[in-house]
Amino acid sequence: MRFLKNKLFILLAVTVAILIIMGLSVRKNSKVNSVSNVLTVVLSPFQEFINYIGDRVEGAADYLQNVEALNQENEALKLRISELEKEVKELSDYREKNKELKEALNIKDQFSDVEFLGANIIAKDIGNWFNIFTIDRGITDGITVDSAVITKDGLVGRVISSDLVSSKVITIIDEDSTVSARLSKTRDLVFVKGDLQLKNEGLCRLDNIFPDVDISVGDTIETSGLGGIYPKGIIIGKVKEVRRKSSDLNRYAIIEPAVDFKRLEEVFVLESKDNFDKVGEDNR
Amino acid sequence: MRVKIVSYAVLIFIIALIQSTVLGSISVFNVKPNLLLILIVSVALLGSNVEGAVIGFFCGLTQDMLSGRVIGFYALLGLYLGLGVAFINKRLYRENVLVAIFTTFISTIVYEFAVYFFSMFFKGSLDLVFPFKYVILPEAVYNSIVSIVIFLIVLKINHWSEELDRLSRRY
Repeated sequence: MRFLKNKLFILLAVTVAILIIMGLSVRKNSKVNSVSNVLTVVLSPFQEFINYIGDRVEGAADYLQNVEALNQENEALKLRISELEKEVKELSDYREKNKELKEALNIKDQFSDVEFLGANIIAKDIGNWFNIFTIDRGITDGITVDSAVITKDGLVGRVISSDLVSSKVITIIDEDSTVSARLSKTRDLVFVKGDLQLKNEGLCRLDNIFPDVDISVGDTIETSGLGGIYPKGIIIGKVKEVRRKSSDLNRYAIIEPAVDFKRLEEVFVLESKDNFDKVGEDNR
Repeated sequence: MRVKIVSYAVLIFIIALIQSTVLGSISVFNVKPNLLLILIVSVALLGSNVEGAVIGFFCGLTQDMLSGRVIGFYALLGLYLGLGVAFINKRLYRENVLVAIFTTFISTIVYEFAVYFFSMFFKGSLDLVFPFKYVILPEAVYNSIVSIVIFLIVLKINHWSEELDRLSRRY
């Protein structure tokens, strides 16, 4: 009987200890989270290797299937390139002009003090509930928690924790994610939230649409810059469908993100430059 | 015992690696099996309380480190799952694969409901039908099928370890 009591006591003590650790690790930048390094540092080279092999295999399979199609596409693309080159020449003129005008107006360029860090996705989330992935850049590369993550198409999400050589990124389609956004057309403020039901199709939902807001299918949604995590003006996606429950007061929209979350391979992490310079000192 | 510890550690490492990389590409209906959960059930089914609890804790901790938001959440769940399964294993004919399949099925439902409850329910998503129909049930079925493979591996390890123990006792 005493033995059983003893065991129960141990179980209780372990449970309480884990609960305390959980409580401590909830805090942002908590030191407890560095425990993860034990595993992530060892595992990430293997994950990178497997992903590399996977990409190669996929690439080879694609190659064998598509040689014919690629030849045709190549011809078409060559034509397109010559067209685009003309356009580029025109546009570069505009760019110069734009730059001069901006300087004249003294507009602060939001991306001028931001560093773009390229990163590869090396692992996906383990369970089925969340949409979190791991990238191959960590504290040593200057990644900090709450940095925005984007691709060339649009917003992907933000960094939720960074280990030594890898970081975890939560996507905007995860149920835990909320982004303050704006309708590009009317400048109305809205929220983009992840949804468990829409997640699997790679979609998310738009909340907080006031009755007087004029919203229609095909409208572009961009980040508002409020909240301090995501810089202003990053494309999130397009409105796919507007649904109303009972009245105009109670409606939400389905968003099709500009990023294809199923085929995501490389992303950019936005780090502010002052942060980036400081990192070297912090690590020492 | 030493054989068990080493081989379980290696098994957790390999499973974590597979789970976080290639498993996404073999998901069915957007659901992938949870190999770590299956490992917990298999080990707990064949071993003692302590074994179940310890392996549950470490599998959970692995999941926390790789994809959790909080360190300790999955570790705690895993610990209790391992303990729970180890408690009932005395009543079952435990080296039967069918028992493993059935236990995995039930465990997955309980475990995933617990995960959903603690991580989503309190945030205001009150829907219970959708997650059950589209995440938990398919995962339970998928887990049960995959559990055959993992259970047989764990069974091998157990036999092997027993054999070695017997040999060392004889001399």
